[in-house]
Amino acid sequence: MSAGATKQAVRCTDVVKRYGTFVALDRVSTEIGTGEVVCVIGPSGSGKSTLLRTMNGLEAIDAGTVNVLGHTLPGPRRELETIRRRVGMVFQNFNLFGHMTVRENLVLAPMTARGLGRAEADEAAQKLLTRVGIGEQIDKYPAQLSGGQQQRVAIARALAMEPEIMLFDEPTSALDPEMVNEVLDVMRDLARGGMTMVVVTHEMGFAREVGDRILFMAEGQLLVDAAPATFFTAPEDERQKAFLSKVL
Amino acid sequence: MTFDLNALEANYPLLLQGLLVTLRIVFYAILFGALGSVVLCLGKLSGRGPGYRVAVFVIDFFRTIPEVVLIFWVYSCLPLLFGLRMSAEISGIVALSLFVAANVAEILRAGILSTEKGQLEAAFSLGLPASTIWRRVVLPPAVRRMMPNFVNFLTELLKASSLLSTIGVAEIVYQATVLGNETFAYLEFLTAVAVLFFMLIFPLSLYVRRAETRHFKRTSR
Amino acid sequence: MGLFGELIEASGGRWIRGGLTAGLAGLIALALINLNWKIVGGLDFAVLWQYRGTLAEGLVMTLVLTAAAAACGIFFGTILAVLTQVPLAPARWFAIGYVELFRNTPILVQVLWIHFALPLVSGINTSAIVSGVIAIVLQASAYFGEIVRGGIRAVPAGYGEASDALGIPVYTRWRRVILPPAFRVMIPPFVNMTISFFKASAILTVLQVGELMTVSTRIANAIFKPIEILTLAALIYFLFGYAISQSTHWLERSLARREGR
Repeated sequence: MSAGATKQAVRCTDVVKRYGTFVALDRVSTEIGTGEVVCVIGPSGSGKSTLLRTMNGLEAIDAGTVNVLGHTLPGPRRELETIRRRVGMVFQNFNLFGHMTVRENLVLAPMTARGLGRAEADEAAQKLLTRVGIGEQIDKYPAQLSGGQQQRVAIARALAMEPEIMLFDEPTSALDPEMVNEVLDVMRDLARGGMTMVVVTHEMGFAREVGDRILFMAEGQLLVDAAPATFFTAPEDERQKAFLSKVL
Repeated sequence: MTFDLNALEANYPLLLQGLLVTLRIVFYAILFGALGSVVLCLGKLSGRGPGYRVAVFVIDFFRTIPEVVLIFWVYSCLPLLFGLRMSAEISGIVALSLFVAANVAEILRAGILSTEKGQLEAAFSLGLPASTIWRRVVLPPAVRRMMPNFVNFLTELLKASSLLSTIGVAEIVYQATVLGNETFAYLEFLTAVAVLFFMLIFPLSLYVRRAETRHFKRTSR
Repeated sequence: MGLFGELIEASGGRWIRGGLTAGLAGLIALALINLNWKIVGGLDFAVLWQYRGTLAEGLVMTLVLTAAAAACGIFFGTILAVLTQVPLAPARWFAIGYVELFRNTPILVQVLWIHFALPLVSGINTSAIVSGVIAIVLQASAYFGEIVRGGIRAVPAGYGEASDALGIPVYTRWRRVILPPAFRVMIPPFVNMTISFFKASAILTVLQVGELMTVSTRIANAIFKPIEILTLAALIYFLFGYAISQSTHWLERSLARREGR
């Protein structure tokens, strides 16, 4: 564990998720410390996105518990809402609100869920957009931006809620190759700033460089939990070896 | 047989009167039907419970039975069952309101449910309150998607309103048949009515066609 | 529970359901209080049994009209749709004008026009049933034609271009390359349109063509039992219409299976 991890931000205990007879998560248990950057990797359909989505209740679980910042799921709706306000999420397809400008995308949640005033929210939006390097695009609509820019807006939108944890669900998978780095750079900055991050990704370079820990999943099970150095250089699990031989 | 414009010239005020009745009935049917449709849509979206089951049945039932049957039923059965006195026009408005309510409820529901999953996921993970999600995330794009369907249904409603002539509502088709019976100038009056309907409906159809082509282009890109 | 389910619950789903149930109860109470019980008590559905033969004949007539509308509609509609695509301007204009004319006027007006006005032009008097069939088939051709046109437009342009490149003759191109995939996407709208014409056939009651609605109103007038007859007619229409609509789901499923989806 990295030095910054003093107390845990997320704890999953024996989490099970089924879709009909298909087991998407098979008794997954893990902990994520405050300030840690954890990268979740594995073949497609391994349950890594599902695991991430249980951490803000987008995916209801069938057994086990997920504790986020002291709030437990499954639990009352109030707990769920609290978790969602304190946890930010970034999606593969950005999921920006296409009928709103970038500014409206950024101020909507702070104004309605955090009770910020218009001026305050506006100022925060401008600052965040500058921080992710697209301050001048504030009055455009998402469709007028490139994929990389849209994803940076999506990150800024999540950050506008001042979350304590950021979840990234394959944030660069839908991007053209030349735009991947601009998004990864923003994520690197965030990690450097001490944000607790859980990142589902196929970017092995990023995982190796930025991750404090790597979780490897296959067929709904959490198979390996290791530091990047050991994970990439000394694989032990057979499926891990097979996976690495394909992606490296 | 020649097309006798004199017959039209002498009687066009009656036709226009009929047109006004048609438009008035359509207006009230939309007004009351829209109210009903929101309730029915809410019922169907609510997912379970008696309200849900009744809404599902009511929507299916009034969308499936022929409009003529609905109109006759309301006109000849409803007053008997409840000991009411209803003019033909009121019966017509009631019947068409039911027709509007069931169909618009389905348009509303389909529009709302066609919201992209990702939009809801983003809204939820931002911690937006439910009211904000409805007002800012779900409804604005949904209403825009529904517009062609609304207008298309309006054309159906205008056409269906002609059926009220069968219970003697003095709308435009009724006026035309009455005038036809009196003067035998069926050709002139029926053609005039067809032209009037065409002039009302065709622009709406054009709008629907445009909107759908736009949508087609956008989604196929 | 999907995300929409969650949104409903977060919007006070319990209160919505409670409100709806209460409203429903109120509505039923209101209806029960205001019902004319003397009339309700005098309802006699058993009397309908003796008209079962007549009603069945009416239903058969309705189904025949529906089948005629669907079959002729698909046949002539396909011709119209192909005409809208040919490089011959007058043919295109005719097809487009025809479809627009029939789609943008009420079928009732068309029925009346064909029965009362057309003979004045053509000099040929048509019986009610002939007028009715002509009207419903003409209208069906326009509506089905519009579906076929949409289906043809959904066929990738590459199919036509490939046929050109391969030197496939025009007839084969339409019959083997363009129409088969077009028809596949058209099946659900075809079924929906068939339901529309199942409903529209009742309009022909204005000419008394002997379909279910004509028969029902005749019986109602003869024995003055409008509530019983019309309710039964509505139920029959509902059951058959619902059955046809359910067949879409079945068709879609079996098509999807055949294509290995």
